[in-house]
Amino acid sequence: MNSLERVMNSIKGLPVDRVPVFAVLCAYGAKLTNCDLHALFSDADAYVAGQVAVQDAFGFDAVIGTFDFSALAEAFGGEVAWHADQCPTMKRPAAQDALSALRLALPDPRTTKRLPTILAALRHLVEIYGGEVPVFAVIPGPGILPTMMMGLEAWMDAVLFDQETALRVLERSGRFFVSWAKALLGTGITGLVVAEGMATENVLPRSIFAEFFLPHIRAMFELVDGPMIFHHSGGSINHIADLLPGLHGLLGVVVGSKDDLTEARRLIGPDLLLAGNLDNLGFPTATAGQIREGSLQCLRIAAQGGHFILSHSAADIPLATPPANLLAMIEASAGYARGDGPAR
Amino acid sequence: MDVPDCIGKLIKAMMEVDRAGASVLMDHALAEGMSPELFMSDVLDPALLAVGKSWGEQKVSLAQAFVGAKIAEDVLLRCLPKGEVPPTALRKGIVVIGNIEDDFHSLGRRMIIPFLQASNWEVHDLGNDVTAETFVDKALQVGASIVAASAMMQTTALNIRKLRDLIDGRGLARRLKLAVGGAVFNWRPELVAEVGGDGTAGNAGAVDALLSRLLFQAGEGKSP
Repeated sequence: MNSLERVMNSIKGLPVDRVPVFAVLCAYGAKLTNCDLHALFSDADAYVAGQVAVQDAFGFDAVIGTFDFSALAEAFGGEVAWHADQCPTMKRPAAQDALSALRLALPDPRTTKRLPTILAALRHLVEIYGGEVPVFAVIPGPGILPTMMMGLEAWMDAVLFDQETALRVLERSGRFFVSWAKALLGTGITGLVVAEGMATENVLPRSIFAEFFLPHIRAMFELVDGPMIFHHSGGSINHIADLLPGLHGLLGVVVGSKDDLTEARRLIGPDLLLAGNLDNLGFPTATAGQIREGSLQCLRIAAQGGHFILSHSAADIPLATPPANLLAMIEASAGYARGDGPAR
Repeated sequence: MDVPDCIGKLIKAMMEVDRAGASVLMDHALAEGMSPELFMSDVLDPALLAVGKSWGEQKVSLAQAFVGAKIAEDVLLRCLPKGEVPPTALRKGIVVIGNIEDDFHSLGRRMIIPFLQASNWEVHDLGNDVTAETFVDKALQVGASIVAASAMMQTTALNIRKLRDLIDGRGLARRLKLAVGGAVFNWRPELVAEVGGDGTAGNAGAVDALLSRLLFQAGEGKSP
């Protein structure tokens, strides 16, 4: 069974030889290929080489496109901060407030800044891995996307105190969300991972998510009309997880490291894919044995009913993580299939 | 409306992200004869402390803390016209605050400023991407005993080390204390020592106590 079959069977709830294992290792590719991070996130060939090195070294069950939202902030006209040991981040947004954000030109996925580079990398990865390993692209959720235009503070200000303007921003940013999502899907990838920061308990109470953002997210999912996995984006999302089933095209949900997996399963129901939930920040300092045990714990809790992928929380696994800690996740899945319980 | 009742209602408004409701509450309290000073010290202060503590314990969301800070700004604006510093008799101390060089995540910093102002600190906000030299020069210019440097991520937090080195290099370590804060220090408390911080606070409500302690260590203020 190859990775694609393993993942597709997990999505459908069919038997697998072992539970699939995902890890986000965008910057780690640079470490393996001795490439600096500026080049990795600016050059499609460099990014592809990094992901090939990651795949050769570890054999995770998915190849992931860049988890780098600074490219979108840059495409809207913002500045990027480049770092030596982590993915680039937004340094300064293009707009200072919601009204200014409404005047920003919408990026063109084919031509604006690094967006074509991201698409080229995905096309190449699909060429290399199509039919064997699923390729996913990551996109910021429709609710958090306006922060790429104006930053979190200004967006929070609009959402909380000027919802009329905030709705106008969502209408505008939503047009880009759909065009970017369709461009990503057009590369032939398996699906999108939608990282929705506004869904996390640490950012918004359930009521605001449900009343203000969920209708917009629902509409965006319908317009994108493709396979999507809803990602917690760093915090906890069990407080809104029950609202997610029924979103058009939704394959599954990735929950945060502080979300209870049993509760997450109860909330999303038996038929959606559930992924999670090792703490990615703990990877550099944990031992391989601790990662293996943590992985097994996730598997024992969540794998028996099928529809499960072993994964970690948040975005990139830190560069300081020893390779043995990454391999420990896959070893745990194999060990679980062999003896610690059925992988189904 | 008595003070405990008022505190409860203000906390409720903050938790329900009801800025307008908080404004109406203040109108009622002032109309019933409560002085603006009493509202600040006996109502706003404990309400902010409660919300700040819950924020630190991750029991409230960023949105609720954000609205809490906005409500505090609204109250301060009515009780203390913009730009006016606390009367010297009430002022606890002077602090220079900013996000360290290369850090542009201003939300946390901006949220604690109203908390500090409500607690009678004179705050000089330098904004984002502040170099070590700018921090120290401003502190010397305004007579601050504390510089407070904020960073969200580990990479930018490490730039605070330059500030530590500059304070030490200029022989200011005894009279100028370095407070550090931001999300990354909550995740990795050992980073405080790594960057040479004199202390940190896990939530906005605890910043007042931290700064009071550092002020005392700098040879000013009362024993906290």
